Amino acid sequence: MMLEHILVLNAYLFSIGIYGFITSRNMVRALMCLELILNAVNINFVTFSDFFYSRQLKGNIFSIFVIAIAAVEATIGSTIVSSIYRNKKSTRINQSTLLNK
Amino acid sequence: MVLLTNPIYSALSLGLVLVCISLFYILSNSHFVAAAQLFIYVGAINVLILFAVMFMNGSEYYKDFNLWTIGNGLTSLVCTSILVSLITTILDTSWYRIIWTTRSNQIIEQDLLSNSQQIGIHLAIDFFLPFEFISIILLVALIGAIVVDRQ
Repeated sequence: MMLEHILVLNAYLFSIGIYGFITSRNMVRALMCLELILNAVNINFVTFSDFFYSRQLKGNIFSIFVIAIAAVEATIGSTIVSSIYRNKKSTRINQSTLLNK
Repeated sequence: MVLLTNPIYSALSLGLVLVCISLFYILSNSHFVAAAQLFIYVGAINVLILFAVMFMNGSEYYKDFNLWTIGNGLTSLVCTSILVSLITTILDTSWYRIIWTTRSNQIIEQDLLSNSQQIGIHLAIDFFLPFEFISIILLVALIGAIVVDRQ
């Protein structure tokens, strides 16, 4: 019963993250929603690792890797956003040719 | 979080969500991932996002009125349908039969180790290669971010 509750919560977080990611007119808000999606997936991994692999912790290890990759992606995303902002002074997301010279 | 207009409020509510997710990890008996989430996500990534939010020009967001466009409505419909299909799939799967059929035999002396010691064992022996690759990725990302930001 507990497993299904946590999985439903993760599905809810995931769909909220997808909704916010698609309907965000601001690039930083899109980055935040991407972190939300990755976190929802992480809780799924850890919950399955708790229920199925009680002493082998395979899902736990993979979720640590996902946290590290999310950190790297947030860093590079914010670098790109700041360079776009420095060039064009606006962060509307429908101007996708901003990195051209 | 996605409905708040001011992006700083949105970033702070993301911080709250990440702290609550860390509490979920404690509930799932995985204390190392809870601490890692608290340090890395809340302590580093959330602060990075707050910096990125504050570098942007703040005055152009107060007149960014939240129009409920057709795209927003269509996306909410698609997301609600994704959520409903996921929930019906979750509630229809019989999880306890899967636990019964894939019950692996547990090694007795692994029960005496704590969670972070187990993760350390697995990282050093079974998953050594992804560990090295992730350290290389972190190094490359750090160098790349500094190079891009220098110009």
